[in-house]
Amino acid sequence: MSPIDRRMLYHVNWPLVGLLTTLFFVGVLNLYSASGVRLGEGVSVEPYYQKQIIWGTIGLFGMVAFMSFDYRRLSSVAWPLYTVTLLLLLAVPFLGKTIYGARRWLDFGLFSFQPSELAKFSVLLLGARILSTEPERLNLKRLAYILGLGLVPTLMVIKQPDLGTGMLVLLLLGGLVLYRGIRPWLFRTLCVLVPLLLPLGWFGLKDYQKRRILAFLDPATDPLGSGYHILQSEIAMGSGRIFGKGFMAGTQSQLRFLPEKHTDFAVAVLGEEWGFFGMMILLSLFCAFLYQIAMVARDAKDPFGSYLAAGVFFYFFWQVLINMGMVLGLMPVVGVPLPFISYGGSATLVNFSLLGLVLNVSMRRFLFKQN
Amino acid sequence: MKNLHSAYGQEPPRLGVGLLQCLIFGLFCLFAVRLWYLQIHLGQVFTEKSRNNQLRTEYIFAPRGFLRDRNGELLAVNEPAFVLGLVREDCDDIPATLSKVSEWTGIPADRLKDIYTRNKPKVKPFEALTLAPDLDFDQIAMIEGGSLRWPGVEILSRTRRKYIYGHLLSHVLGYVAEANEAEMQADPTLSLGDFVGKQGLENRLDDRLRGTKGRRLIEVDVSGRRLSEELQREPKAGEEVFLSIDLGLQQLGHKVLEGKAGSVVVMDPDSGEIHALVSEPTYDSNTFTTGLSSAQWAELRDNPMHPLQNRATQGVYPPGSVFKLLMAADALHEKAIDTSETVQCTGELALGNHVFRCWKRGGHGSVNFQRALVESCDVYFYKLGMKLGVDRISAYAKLAGLGVPTGIDLPHEKAGLIPSREWKQKRFGVRWTKGEDLNLAIGQGYTGTTPLQIARLVAALINGGKVLKPQLMRGIAPEVQSTMPLAPEHAAMIKRAMVATVEDPHGTCRRVLTPGVVVGAKTGTAQVVRLTDELKRMGDNVPYKYRDHAWMAGFGEKDGRRFVVVAMVEHGLHGASGAGPAVKAMLDALFLGKKELPPRDVAGAERPAEPAARVVVDAVEPQFPDVPHEPETVR
Repeated sequence: MSPIDRRMLYHVNWPLVGLLTTLFFVGVLNLYSASGVRLGEGVSVEPYYQKQIIWGTIGLFGMVAFMSFDYRRLSSVAWPLYTVTLLLLLAVPFLGKTIYGARRWLDFGLFSFQPSELAKFSVLLLGARILSTEPERLNLKRLAYILGLGLVPTLMVIKQPDLGTGMLVLLLLGGLVLYRGIRPWLFRTLCVLVPLLLPLGWFGLKDYQKRRILAFLDPATDPLGSGYHILQSEIAMGSGRIFGKGFMAGTQSQLRFLPEKHTDFAVAVLGEEWGFFGMMILLSLFCAFLYQIAMVARDAKDPFGSYLAAGVFFYFFWQVLINMGMVLGLMPVVGVPLPFISYGGSATLVNFSLLGLVLNVSMRRFLFKQN
Repeated sequence: MKNLHSAYGQEPPRLGVGLLQCLIFGLFCLFAVRLWYLQIHLGQVFTEKSRNNQLRTEYIFAPRGFLRDRNGELLAVNEPAFVLGLVREDCDDIPATLSKVSEWTGIPADRLKDIYTRNKPKVKPFEALTLAPDLDFDQIAMIEGGSLRWPGVEILSRTRRKYIYGHLLSHVLGYVAEANEAEMQADPTLSLGDFVGKQGLENRLDDRLRGTKGRRLIEVDVSGRRLSEELQREPKAGEEVFLSIDLGLQQLGHKVLEGKAGSVVVMDPDSGEIHALVSEPTYDSNTFTTGLSSAQWAELRDNPMHPLQNRATQGVYPPGSVFKLLMAADALHEKAIDTSETVQCTGELALGNHVFRCWKRGGHGSVNFQRALVESCDVYFYKLGMKLGVDRISAYAKLAGLGVPTGIDLPHEKAGLIPSREWKQKRFGVRWTKGEDLNLAIGQGYTGTTPLQIARLVAALINGGKVLKPQLMRGIAPEVQSTMPLAPEHAAMIKRAMVATVEDPHGTCRRVLTPGVVVGAKTGTAQVVRLTDELKRMGDNVPYKYRDHAWMAGFGEKDGRRFVVVAMVEHGLHGASGAGPAVKAMLDALFLGKKELPPRDVAGAERPAEPAARVVVDAVEPQFPDVPHEPETVR
């Protein structure tokens, strides 16, 4: 079987590609506005949107690369990749460089690289591999085994400290586990136990993380400190009202009241400038996008592919939930970007590549018929 | 197909796919509701908040209204001043900059540091903090030369009040100074460095003079840097005010009192307009606008001559014999006397075991109403006092505007005091005695009046009893505050007696005789302390602080114009010689157009001057009120 042939091209999931492209360009357009800073006269635009386009192009290659081989081969690299990831994460505290007070990056001269990004992928892969061969719904022992495999890199990422990515890794695995299904009694027990154990996590948090949570619970207590981000992002969102203030006309972002406006809070710019109307379109786009991935998971012709697609589903789902929840004041401030809307080089590359994986699963769904 | 799946050991998890669909549905619902809540339900609230984030209001200075005298002569204007300001956001080394500023301006470094820390919290971001209030051109040149190397240092132009005749009108105009915190709290349009009227007319007319500030809406970014501005309201300049004061007359009044402490008031008896309101010694209003140093302030405050006090409205003195005018009017009104009836003056009057003396040792002999006024016979008025009694006298005095503030547009005016039975009982817990009736009758004892009150009394005597509000502004309709009951024929009698006081060979006011002008006057000599025999023997050589206050209250009439002139000289010894020259100078200027002073000390003591009757129960010190000034801007 050739890696790629004309029939497969014919089977490419074009609706998903269309949604991806639309989301990406909505993101670029919004970044153009979000990078604008009004000075005395006129607006100066920092070149974030250009960089995003460049990363998108690189991402396109990554996507094609992830489509070009039979995804079933990945099953065999799951364990080696997992091991490499752990080694790299282990190296970060010693060799990594520090940005914004957190040691997350490995510098390879030409480019720097976040092993935590790799952790998401390798946990996804390993989870898909193990879960797709589980004969039955998980019992406690299997659950502990799988979550234990996820917890190791998770804790290492959280220690960097990068709570957002760490949580994402664990949530992704958790989603996959639920996708597989666990024993009903186990499910019921966890439903009771997890909310009880969650407060214990409080003691493991750093001070700034605790402050963010307190500020989330009551932003008014500290409007210029931790509560500031939440307050300003809600003001940006809310003041957009039905149709928004218009493209490039958002005062919250242009006058720099909105923090992190091209990364974590980029969607607030969109909300301010396009209003409820624009936000509903964006929300619908994301839901359609997630639905398409879910359909790929349903229609995949082998369990491994199905789990891969489901893993990617959760990868995107959690990010949308956490990021928009934060911007809309439903969750504490956690550094999780919104896929395609927030600026981020490696994140864009990863997003495109993971989608390539989904497209890979999608277009090979008919191949087995011929075999 | 099925086989293939079973080869991997399982079916695709149907429940899992359902889970994914549920999650998508949940995500959509959660955010749709939240977006509706934030953007539609609370949209209005957040729109308001985003506006408040970005828009600031800024006020634009309005020039303060000019002050002019009655002839349009400029008295107070605004002039440009250059101040040194520091924009903190642009300055990278504040301690070093402060010491450089100290080097430029000569202001000690620690004082600059003090100014800086005190004003820091009051200054808005990117607004200059004023470090040095007044720069001369040499300093400006030096600072401009070096300012490139000192970012944040700025020379700002401001307007400052300039009093052209700083000393002449300080008690009338008062002064402006930078608003203090209480004033800024009370008026939100005031900001740091704004000037407000603190004293005098500047204070009373502050609302009119200040004008209305303009307003600008400024769009700022998160760091407070301004991006655009929109004029919302033009500043409206303050009103120009014409005073009733005649600058030339005022100048003359100060000149004639030079070196003495006292007051001269010139009033139009028909309109109530004040043409001169002089108080000596005086101070320069301009010293307050730049901010006083503590040393300057201490010097003004502790000066034994009390230059800050406006003696015309705040100096309370016993009126002495000037009070006899009121006694005469009251007696005529009450029909207590027959004007032709005479009284025998033997030089003293015994009451109980007290002897009340007339100022003239040998006595005046037999005196009638007119002669009693002309020669200021104390015994005649002692008898009148006994006849009228304190109740009637004090009631009438109140109607004549004594013991009550005149209502002139100057802050901190004193009411003076007209004693009454109730007052004494309340004040000392002791009953009023008969002897005090006698003291009251000759304007001694507890009685206290301001020169302005006396001017108003004389005006009422010659205008038919109208007690007017003294006006400091030109062309304001006369305001009658009370009417003293005075029949026209009685008024004429008093007036005739006053004229005789000037024209009669025995009159006490001969020195103010002015050719071609009908002049009437009355002297007064107010005792400061009861003189001991030793002091008495010293005659005119008693120490300054024990000398009597000299009064002269008069009027002049010519060609339908008439003016009341009152002069009071502290420790001036005798009414005629002490206060007379001032009255004479005013009359000459008003009616003869003479703006020059006659040579000093003309040998013209035609009459033996009338000393105060030495009968006072207790000495009355001139009352100096607590100085109401306050150095807001001591730097």
